[in-house]
Amino acid sequence: MTFRKHNEGGWGQTLVSGAIGLIYFAPVFWMVLTAFKTRQDALAIPPKLFFTPTLENFRAVFFDTTSSGELVATDAWLYFVNSAFIAGASVLLALILGTLAAYAFSRYPLRGNDTYLFIILTTRMLPPIVVIIPIFLLFRLTGLSGTYIGIILLYTSFNLPFSIWMMKSFFDDLDREVEDSARMDGSSDWAVFRRIVLPQVAAGLAATMVFALILTWNEFIFALLLTGTESRTVPVALASTVGGSVGVEWGKLSAMITLFLIPVVIVTFVLQNQLLRGVTFGTIRR
Amino acid sequence: MTSDMHLPPAFTTQRSARGILQWLNAPERRGPLLVAPAILTLFLVNILPLLWSFGLSFFNYRANRQAAPRFDGLDNYGDLLTDDRVWERFVTTGMIVAGSVGLQLIIGFGLALLFAKKFPLRRILLMLVLTPMMLSFVSVGIFFKLFYDPSLGLLSWIVGQFTGEPFAILATPAGAISAIVIADAWMWSPFVMLLVLAGLVSVPDYLYEAAHVDRASGWRRFRTITLPYVKGLILLALLFRTIETFKTFDLVYLITAGGPGSATETVAVYAYRLGFQNFRTSEASALAYLILFVVIVLTSLYLYLVNRRDAEAAS
Amino acid sequence: MKKYLLACTAMFIGSTAMAEEIVIRMAAPDWGPTRFMQEHANETYSAPSGNDVTLEIDFIPWPNFFDRVNASLNSGEQRYQMIVSDSQWLGNFIEAGHFLRLNDYIEESDELQAIMADLHPALVAGYSTYPHVPADEIEALGGYSPEMNYYGFPQFPDNYFTYYRNDLFCDEGENAAFQETYGAELPCAPEAWETVTWDDWRNFGEFFTRAAGETLAGVELTEDFYGIAYQAGKPLDFSTMQINAFFWQWGGGIWDESNEPNAEVIGVVNSPENIAAFETYLSLLDYAPPIAQTGQMGIFEIQDLYMQGRIAAIIDWAALAGPVVDPSSSTVADVTSFGLMPGNILNGDLDRSANLGGQPFVLTTWNDEETIQEALDLVIWWLSEDTQIAAVQAGGQSGMMSVLNNPDYDSWAPWNAQFRQSLPWQRDLWHIPEMFEMLTQQQEEFDRAITGQISAEEALNAIAEFQDELLRDAGRLE
Repeated sequence: MTFRKHNEGGWGQTLVSGAIGLIYFAPVFWMVLTAFKTRQDALAIPPKLFFTPTLENFRAVFFDTTSSGELVATDAWLYFVNSAFIAGASVLLALILGTLAAYAFSRYPLRGNDTYLFIILTTRMLPPIVVIIPIFLLFRLTGLSGTYIGIILLYTSFNLPFSIWMMKSFFDDLDREVEDSARMDGSSDWAVFRRIVLPQVAAGLAATMVFALILTWNEFIFALLLTGTESRTVPVALASTVGGSVGVEWGKLSAMITLFLIPVVIVTFVLQNQLLRGVTFGTIRR
Repeated sequence: MTSDMHLPPAFTTQRSARGILQWLNAPERRGPLLVAPAILTLFLVNILPLLWSFGLSFFNYRANRQAAPRFDGLDNYGDLLTDDRVWERFVTTGMIVAGSVGLQLIIGFGLALLFAKKFPLRRILLMLVLTPMMLSFVSVGIFFKLFYDPSLGLLSWIVGQFTGEPFAILATPAGAISAIVIADAWMWSPFVMLLVLAGLVSVPDYLYEAAHVDRASGWRRFRTITLPYVKGLILLALLFRTIETFKTFDLVYLITAGGPGSATETVAVYAYRLGFQNFRTSEASALAYLILFVVIVLTSLYLYLVNRRDAEAAS
Repeated sequence: MKKYLLACTAMFIGSTAMAEEIVIRMAAPDWGPTRFMQEHANETYSAPSGNDVTLEIDFIPWPNFFDRVNASLNSGEQRYQMIVSDSQWLGNFIEAGHFLRLNDYIEESDELQAIMADLHPALVAGYSTYPHVPADEIEALGGYSPEMNYYGFPQFPDNYFTYYRNDLFCDEGENAAFQETYGAELPCAPEAWETVTWDDWRNFGEFFTRAAGETLAGVELTEDFYGIAYQAGKPLDFSTMQINAFFWQWGGGIWDESNEPNAEVIGVVNSPENIAAFETYLSLLDYAPPIAQTGQMGIFEIQDLYMQGRIAAIIDWAALAGPVVDPSSSTVADVTSFGLMPGNILNGDLDRSANLGGQPFVLTTWNDEETIQEALDLVIWWLSEDTQIAAVQAGGQSGMMSVLNNPDYDSWAPWNAQFRQSLPWQRDLWHIPEMFEMLTQQQEEFDRAITGQISAEEALNAIAEFQDELLRDAGRLE
């Protein structure tokens, strides 16, 4: 067992990781494959790996056929735009607020620092179903129900605990001597934070962003209850493919899952360099 | 004007924007200032509703009745704690949490070790492993229910190739619990992997080189160099996965609906039934706080154990 | 420019003189029958009052429809003017003060009275009355009567019957083989199902259950083939819907809410008739697909297996029949016929009692008089003969006897004859607020019996005990 990161694994390692990765990926692969299948093919046993692909399911996502046979555009575009906007805004907000708070918790400990941190953590502990009614009431009282601001604020608060804890653990691991010497050279606190601290925790920021994005992107129950027809997101539309006159519209569901997966995959792929970079070389903790 | 004396000079002497900024910018206020926006958001959107349902848990209130709430003291808590059904649900949840979080740590760690090295196509292969956690619970629940179907599912078909019999994993309580655990662990192991990986890649090279010179054994290198670097992140993963798995709702609701019988009914599902189906609104709130209590005890235990080991290591 | 100004003022004056815009917002599950209602309203509805009335349906995913409606009502947000409701939810939301009692409005309107009189009594019983009045009493009262409390109207009425493979049941070779073993013919034509009993159903199940490698209608099977299936699932109300039919057909029953507080639970719910009925129900699962052992055999699972050509006959809702005869979703679209559900011979007659499905829609309590009148006009429009015929032709169903008795009605969908003939047999589950608690507990005990953890008798005893205590606590039982 060696854990040296500059040790090139070579193609042998690719083979092993590839085999394991493919097995791990198989269920997702099956979902994506189903997006191109007719209903009969989707449920066929023995399972069909080779079949005549159809784009009908993707058409069904964006266009409905009325009883008179007309094609009308569905609200799918709106849902995708909503999802992107709501997730984007709340992830950004959580990242900013969370990073600032985490930095403060790490560098300027308050009295009862750990208690605050723990209370922040406890807000993630209750099953959402129990707090739905009070949140619903609160949203109604404040007029936030059905608005973008309301759901964005809510998702921000869901993402804050993880952002704070995650970023704090990265800040804690940094070598403070570098910061102190920069300060002695006359840099302001803000400059130290921006030029010296932030670049060192790029991996943490990237990881936090990916996790927050995933959580927000897929959130269902609050989206169901607190969004109106205009601010509805894709996960709610996903559930609409279930329980009508067929149990699950397998093709349409898979097509939506596939389309919905693409943006997160792209963002994660782009952030991968940061994710895998780790804490900047040369810094030793403690 | 005695009251002025308690106000900071910025407000009393010169009320200029600059003064306020200066006052805010003082080093001793930096911590509270940076923390405030986050705490405020959490308080408004999250803690306030939590307190509301905490208050409700001491009343007798049903959301489907017009009668006003009646103060009931600790009755709801008493009823729940003496109810066998509640204990049974906690045990079920405990089994799912232990099984799933345990599996996630093992698989996540294994995958992280696999991807810590550089090798060709690593970036693409890593994406393959990361995708499960990018799916929504609804998608995973619906598809795993299909995978587990004894006549139309992949699992039964694969097992059938060897046994010649259809395989109904959901037919027994043990099978159904493992089915939930498998789906959840599959979905969230990538989360653990990513956190561990972030720790692994930040281990400075020269430490390994030094260890190489020292001819330290693989296990020793792992324990003395690797583990300290990933420990904090493993703890974080453990904390968040425990908290999240304790709330397991959608997967259970979609895959087994709590069956067979009540074998897979988690506390979150039970709280939902109490609150949303049986309209025992305040009892459901009380159960929520019992859940909160258990999770707090559990997470404090993690933190305590880790801190104690830290202290040991430091001494 | 002058012209433009003129047009503007004309429009302005016109719109103020034309009176108000009223939006009737209705919460509804997202599926065919409600999508049709929206589409058809957009195309054809204009309010007789002259107001500019639009029906705006908030389409909510079926699996979470209850959660959304429930959260909305409990929070008091007063968002909806009308709501599609499952019939069993009526009592709960009526007693919570959310659904509007309609007697005064019906009393004032001849059109609404005519509608209530024209609706099938089984549907008035299930969808409209609270406290519940059984169908036979409604008939005795002559259809419409101000003595009952009215709340809802049918949005989509539903009942279940048999879907079967006519290529198998009419196959000569299979018929010969069946005749040899059981000394009877397989019911090939839909009419032949009128005499089918559960004993026959058991025989079909045993006969058509084949392993991979055996032949079916002259073709060698590559996968296992199953005989029969009906709902036996823990989610929602799946098993209860089918098991209630067995109780009633065996002469047993459920706690009778229309006879509160004198109706008994102990000795009724766990009566010898109910135990015998439930045992029969469980024994027939032996010929069902293996998913029956998991307690997850819901209405959709059997529909999927049937559409994939893996089962000879199933019992399922009219709502689910459309996709089965649609070649784009079903492999057996052109070989499917429909028959009545089997029955049990009780006191010399074939009893086909069954549990009503479908959904009514209701008005909410927080609207002003004008909005209520507009909503009622929408109800009248929806339940007018033209609209109902259009709905049935688009794959929906109607509960109006004038539509059901239309000589062409049976031809509008292949299963319409079965729907019509099954209607008189429909009875409904409880409607009281405690029904969710009773249902959840019952589904759990049924599930234990279905998955073989306990016997039929143990399950029914546990259910009876629970309901007895719950109903006594609620003051519904003395």
